[in-house]
Amino acid sequence: MPAWLGDNLITIIDGVAFGVLLFTIAVGLSLVFGIMDVLNLAHGALYLVGAYLAVRFAGDGQATAWAFLAAGLAAVVVGAAAGAGLAVLARPLGRRGHLDQALLTLGVALVVGDLLSARFGNDVQSVPPPAFLAGGVSIAGREYPSYRLAVIVAGLALAVLVYALVERSRAGALVRATVADAPMVRALGVDTGRLVVAVFAFGVVLACLGGVLGAPVLGAYPGLDERVLILGLVVVVLGGLGSVPGAFLGAMVIGQVEVLGVSLLPQYASFLVFGTMAVVLLLRPTGMLGRARKPG
Amino acid sequence: MRGLARRLVTIVAAGLTVALVAGCGSSLEEDQQGAASGPVKVGLLVPKSGVYAPLGRDMENGFRMYLEAKGGKLGGRTVEVVVADEGGGPDTGVPAAQKLLQQDKVTILVGIVNSAVALGVRDLVADSKVPLIVANAGANAITGEQRSDYVWRTSFANGEVAAALGEYVAGQVKGGKVFLAAPDYAAGKEATAGFQETFEAAGGQVAGTELTPFGTTTNFQPYLARIQRSGAKAAYCFYAGAEAVAFVKQYQQFGLSSKIPLYCSGFATEGGVLKAQGDAALGIRTSLHYSDQIDNPTNKEFVVDYRAGYGDAPTVYAVQAYDAAAVLDQALAKGATGDAIVEGLKGVGEIDSPRGPWRFNDGHGPDQIYYLRETKKQGGTTVNAVVQPLTGS
Amino acid sequence: MSTATEAPATAASQAMARGAAGLVLGLLALVPLLVSSNVADMLTRVLAFALLAIGLDLLAGVGGLPSLGQAAPFGVGAYTAALLAKHVTTVGPVQLLAAAVAGAGLAAAVGWLLVRSRGTYFLMLTLAVGEIVHELADRWEGVTGGSNGLAGVPAINLYPGAPPVRLAGLLYWYVLAAVLVCAGALWVVSRSAFGRTLRGVRDNEERMRSLGYWTFLPKYAVFCIAGAAAGAAGSLWVAQARFVSPADLGFEVSALALLAVVIGGRGSLWGAALGAAVVVLVREELSPQLGGRGPLVLGLVFVAAVYLLPRGFAGTRLSRRGSGPRRTAAP
Repeated sequence: MPAWLGDNLITIIDGVAFGVLLFTIAVGLSLVFGIMDVLNLAHGALYLVGAYLAVRFAGDGQATAWAFLAAGLAAVVVGAAAGAGLAVLARPLGRRGHLDQALLTLGVALVVGDLLSARFGNDVQSVPPPAFLAGGVSIAGREYPSYRLAVIVAGLALAVLVYALVERSRAGALVRATVADAPMVRALGVDTGRLVVAVFAFGVVLACLGGVLGAPVLGAYPGLDERVLILGLVVVVLGGLGSVPGAFLGAMVIGQVEVLGVSLLPQYASFLVFGTMAVVLLLRPTGMLGRARKPG
Repeated sequence: MRGLARRLVTIVAAGLTVALVAGCGSSLEEDQQGAASGPVKVGLLVPKSGVYAPLGRDMENGFRMYLEAKGGKLGGRTVEVVVADEGGGPDTGVPAAQKLLQQDKVTILVGIVNSAVALGVRDLVADSKVPLIVANAGANAITGEQRSDYVWRTSFANGEVAAALGEYVAGQVKGGKVFLAAPDYAAGKEATAGFQETFEAAGGQVAGTELTPFGTTTNFQPYLARIQRSGAKAAYCFYAGAEAVAFVKQYQQFGLSSKIPLYCSGFATEGGVLKAQGDAALGIRTSLHYSDQIDNPTNKEFVVDYRAGYGDAPTVYAVQAYDAAAVLDQALAKGATGDAIVEGLKGVGEIDSPRGPWRFNDGHGPDQIYYLRETKKQGGTTVNAVVQPLTGS
Repeated sequence: MSTATEAPATAASQAMARGAAGLVLGLLALVPLLVSSNVADMLTRVLAFALLAIGLDLLAGVGGLPSLGQAAPFGVGAYTAALLAKHVTTVGPVQLLAAAVAGAGLAAAVGWLLVRSRGTYFLMLTLAVGEIVHELADRWEGVTGGSNGLAGVPAINLYPGAPPVRLAGLLYWYVLAAVLVCAGALWVVSRSAFGRTLRGVRDNEERMRSLGYWTFLPKYAVFCIAGAAAGAAGSLWVAQARFVSPADLGFEVSALALLAVVIGGRGSLWGAALGAAVVVLVREELSPQLGGRGPLVLGLVFVAAVYLLPRGFAGTRLSRRGSGPRRTAAP
């Protein structure tokens, strides 16, 4: 038993790191869906924007902590603008249902992806971690990159922050109320329109920050946006649309499935992610922590 | 309802006008291919969008460089190049090839990165009597079971590149075991099979094989952990593009690079991929039929000219397309119709290429030397230094 | 509960609609005599894709079940037709039938689990099915040829003993006839009592249930019918391309089919055919000439279509009600 644990301890820790990264992507997606019923298929492309920001600031041998900080700030600014823009674009389609909004965001995703490709080229770009996190530490006799440990710390901090904001603050209460019963909140005099834009912007900022955080792990290249989007969608649906704790739980599950699951069941590696989602949905049709959406 | 009908008529009318203008003719007759006089139309089918676009760019550069050096003529005839976007796979590549053949009526088709596209157009080019010079796609079948008079290849076969390493690695590990890793698709399987064949024939033992999900694997940690647990003395891998970057970087991050030497098919350290890998790539030994460090006069000149024209060092993809033009230079001298060019291709002798001399074999693929390369730092950049030619292929 | 999908038609507008339909059919039939082989090939592909889109329109527009997994039965149908052509028979209609059965079979196998879900969850499950089938096609090398696909599919012939259909124009006529028959069948379904039940379930499932209807069966049935249509479309695609690979099962195919439905206007069936034409034209004609900027144009088309064509080409309203509380069925 100890041998098995020792061998797989690194894998489990890596699953947490991956899961935490997935959470930063998924939570924005879940919030946006919860408050606006919009499946933001441009989310992956916006993650990629964050990753390319990291390339721009910290690539090519300039990987200092300050460069990453700058990239992070840029991600916040760009993300907020993009999120607000998307919210404004999607609002007129509100009455026509999710499908139109989803296709709109898919179109935006294609446009953004191609613009990034035109600007940065199609080669794979890689970003080294900041110098002080460049090495590895020894865990259970094997080496593990320090940067991924930092990702765990940063990601968990972000998760706590988001939880505090959504579940414990007044603004968060308004958001949750709007998700549950928007007309009521409007009747109380709150401008839900602006709230929606703010939530959208927040969600996209998280995606861009995820891109910066994940750049030394995943790099930046055309096609990464699609991969990230699919994983994000799976996590969100698995955890329950609109639920922040659900997004966290889903991310942790998929993080482990992608790493520990692959380690234990390599022949089925390609099917594990979707298989897990399908199994969970069939047992709990609205995801692990999702609520059945009220009709209408 | 009136508005509906009006809209309908406008749309149909617009569509028809487009169709008539674009493609007058009758689809009830056999197509004619190529013009007897005038410039020879060469269709260049390379990816211009998607993940393979960097390869497509290099291939176009290589082809055009040869053409320009010969004043726009191959075999003494003026050549007109029509470029089409292969895209990411056969769903875009095959229709693009069809267009080149049927609408642009090219006489020769050159390029193709994706093996599925190459295999998908095989019957098309045979039916249209248009010779195809594959300048990258590596499926064994293209010059194996699916060979054709009209399909020629100046690049490589997946199995052969990998097989070149087998004997050498067996000599290096001297009885130790080797772990194989590749993506789970046709090319990965052909590569590991090719390596395994020559490796085991030289007395080697395989510790295990890991086929990772193709195109979706970003985290190789579970596979790297398995390599560590297997007690292998070395590892062989076949990866390209983003997966090569991720695999090589993680190979170093998780501590394997200092303990378990890595051997790869050369695509894992070729071109833009090498730049992205940074220092993680140092010390990897690969087999490939080209390196910009090859020390022969043709290559030295080629590298200088390529850098002058395109800014970067040339890659194997550029050389493959460059040689395609060289081959056509010889073949077009014999004739300018499809069948005449095929006869010309059959008569092509030895090509004096930057990769060294090579000639076509029975399957219409290249009989060539594979080099053992090692990634080293040279004057601030990482390059694929040539260690020695590898025997056997 | 409104069961009408269009404004009540006057005799004059009905006549005009019939006239327009006749004109279009006539022009479609004349195509091979007017255009070159390349254009005929492309229009053949448009027709095959249109059948896929029409089936999806029945599922999504009429049934209220938008799916991102229609590439799965499409691909299964395509592989079935290709394998039949290579090993058993090259008779086109036989392949068509077998492919439709295969597509319906796949839909039947997964549908009874999937249609229990609603909205976005259903969408994601169909996406999952699509991706899993795609993976299977990629890995099951012995049967599907793996990622290299199946090349060298023989040309079809129309009945046992007939010469193979090689001319692009003749193949176009075969595909046109097949698509008209299949789309006609789908149209009949849409206009039948079953179709009305579907629309009722789409618009308000709870109310239908309270009225005593079983909502599971109609949803399951339309899922299978759409699967059959997609499988048939797959066999027609292979008849033209003579090559099938896992790329034909990809997410892109499903997304483009859904886009075709939205551009064309949900629920009208013929609108989906027009949408399919637009999608294929943009992808095959426009994109390759843009030097790699194809995805950009496609994305802009998506965005423009969603904004400028609020109800698609067909302009069908889902109901005459004004905007009220969001409907359950809004996908």
